[in-house]
Amino acid sequence: MTRLRAPQEAVPDALAAQDGTSGSAGPESTAGSAGPESTAGSVGQDGTAEARTPRPGGVGLGVAGWLRWGWRQLTSMRTALILLFLLAAGSIPGSLLPQVGTNPAAVSQYYSSHPLLARIFGDLSLFNVFGAPWFAAVYILLFTSLVGCVLPRTLHLVGSARQPPPRAPGNLSRLPFAVSYTTALAPEAALEGAAKALSARRFRLRTGPGWVAAEKGYLREVGNLLFHIALLGLLVSIGLGGLFGYKADRLLVTGTSFSNTVTALDEFHPGRLVGPTDLQPFTVALDHFSASYVTSGPLTGQPSSFVASVRYSASPQDPMHSYSLSVNHPLVVDGVRVFLIGHGYAPTFRITDGTGHLVFEGAVPFIPVETAGLTSEGAIKVPDAEPEGLGFAGVFLPSAIDVGGRLESWFPAPEDPMVSLVSYEGNLGMNSGPPQSVYSLNTAGLHRLPITPRPLAIGQSMKLPDHLGTLTYTGYQQWVSLAITYDPGQTPALVSGIAVLAGLLLSFMVRRRRVFVRARTDEAGRTVVDLGGLPRSDAAGGFEEEFARLTAEISGLHQGRLDDDHNPPDLGPPDGE
Amino acid sequence: MFPPLYSASRVPGAAARSARRAAVGALAAAAVLLGVAACDGGATAQDTAVGNGSSFVTGSYSTTVYKLGARPQAPEVSGTTLTGARFRLSADRGSVVIMNFWGSWCTPCREEAPALGALARHFAGARVRFVGVDIRDDPASAEAFMRTFRIGYPSLNDPNDMVALDFSGTVPPSGIPTTLVIDRSGRVAARIVGPASYSGLMALITQAAAER
Repeated sequence: MTRLRAPQEAVPDALAAQDGTSGSAGPESTAGSAGPESTAGSVGQDGTAEARTPRPGGVGLGVAGWLRWGWRQLTSMRTALILLFLLAAGSIPGSLLPQVGTNPAAVSQYYSSHPLLARIFGDLSLFNVFGAPWFAAVYILLFTSLVGCVLPRTLHLVGSARQPPPRAPGNLSRLPFAVSYTTALAPEAALEGAAKALSARRFRLRTGPGWVAAEKGYLREVGNLLFHIALLGLLVSIGLGGLFGYKADRLLVTGTSFSNTVTALDEFHPGRLVGPTDLQPFTVALDHFSASYVTSGPLTGQPSSFVASVRYSASPQDPMHSYSLSVNHPLVVDGVRVFLIGHGYAPTFRITDGTGHLVFEGAVPFIPVETAGLTSEGAIKVPDAEPEGLGFAGVFLPSAIDVGGRLESWFPAPEDPMVSLVSYEGNLGMNSGPPQSVYSLNTAGLHRLPITPRPLAIGQSMKLPDHLGTLTYTGYQQWVSLAITYDPGQTPALVSGIAVLAGLLLSFMVRRRRVFVRARTDEAGRTVVDLGGLPRSDAAGGFEEEFARLTAEISGLHQGRLDDDHNPPDLGPPDGE
Repeated sequence: MFPPLYSASRVPGAAARSARRAAVGALAAAAVLLGVAACDGGATAQDTAVGNGSSFVTGSYSTTVYKLGARPQAPEVSGTTLTGARFRLSADRGSVVIMNFWGSWCTPCREEAPALGALARHFAGARVRFVGVDIRDDPASAEAFMRTFRIGYPSLNDPNDMVALDFSGTVPPSGIPTTLVIDRSGRVAARIVGPASYSGLMALITQAAAER
């Protein structure tokens, strides 16, 4: 090893080499000392270990060499960190620029206001960052890098956890902790006693001529393994979610229902492998929505609770169930979560045209533009009115009040719900042409009717000039917006996450440590017992006491049999000797 | 594999395709009956909303023709039409059924409406049935739409999206409008996502009607 290491760890390497077991003990001790917290270090060490093997020639590596080199670079933790950083940096334009997935209208707007810049951004996929090839390249590389790093390490750890203790080194006094004493027992008996004592303390044993090697703390490797396998599980779970999950939005008016099918959704963002046939066929009906607001004090008007009473069924064949949907309390149907994320008002209208036909009757969701009074804006489109198409744009005021000739809403609850509309006639531009918002009117082909907008109370009508028709404001409904998310990787990700932590804790808290015992007969014919201790983790805390206890127990065992204590054990680190 | 909706790179292509198809459809419709030149291009794959981003999903425009052996069986569809009549898809076994998912509020639906109305009249009496499925609409607007475009065939009122759900395991409508051509034995012969053109749909109906 070319790397600088803690002295107590350098010792076993040197010793192991002396002992002729460098092949197994060398790299194994590296893996043992590098916990999951220092994966980067271990990869670097693997790299340095590889570097010792002679490269094919000084100049040309050869194709295989370059591939190996490239793979090693890719799977190094440094590369993974760089990729992680790129991933984070790459998503910045996603939050600064409008995205096709979330706000396509703003993207078109950007194209018309900055044509050249928009074209460049468009070519760089900056309007669709999360679907961009370069973004995919970054996360695929990151995934490969992490798997490539973790997988070999996992295999390595499996080997490490199954390995028996190494042979006892020749000179135990060179270990960080060593004790030597004489006993009247024969060497074999002394070893047997020591082995029994160690075995009773659940050490894994290996014996040889004149020595016993014992090791404990393999649970650390189990923790290590758990950590690595769970890390892989976490990656796979996230991948699962990206491939098979989807997100969707739906605005639902009280008294109506919808089914989870693409045509019924306002927005649909499928994962890579999700098609329209993969949607879970549930139905949700909104029976009632109630919002309560703070009615006094400085927080007046702040919402205090939202509850949507819904009925749902997992499929057309299943019976309906009731559920109270509230914020952060999603409905879970068939593995799909339905969140309550917003609400608003949908005034209801009844419109007859100039020919006396009923041309509109229903609720029109208005979108809140402010939160203090929930003043909401919206549009009613009646393209099929005769003789001319009709359009209305205006505001809904839950608690209307006239503030110096200006209408405002003083409270978000419907205390005095009124609408005020501007009326138009003409071509609404809906028979062809560019996409239109459902919530606003394209007034390009329309002209404004000469009637002054005045606030309408529930039940009041507005007669349009030139016998164009009549609009009646019949009432209001409330609507909720629902976020529908399906992420099959969520539960596996949670389980993996917990396992990652558990593995990490285990590998932090359990120390691997070795105890060696040698017994020999010296020139004087006495039996000399050498005990050596070697903590294998960086944090040796506690081993000193454990070793002292062990030594006391073993030596006590040896001395006790003879009832002879003229040679007390000589405790302490070997440095002074 | 399902093409991503709202993919930036797809929109211009879809727009061009739909513009061509719309133009062809308009010309044909004009020649045959109406003289409507409304469908003169510029349509894109989705209508969208400013504000809270709410909109509706119309999908990427595409036409899928299923080979005779590979046609998915259409599910049993039943419901009430806008005029209150009962409808059962299986009652039309033996006829070619054109099922069109639409809404009076949807621009591409209004774009294709003249062609659909004209085709329904063209195939009247030829064992070809047209049926609409009205989605997210109020009946008053739907009836006004049918008056405007002289749509003579019935439409199912589907406020719970049950018809779309019936198709969810086989050929779900992946956008509005979607038009399904169902053959005489009740199997889906073709699916058009996006506005149907007069000539394109004419060819599909003629082919399905010629079978057996």
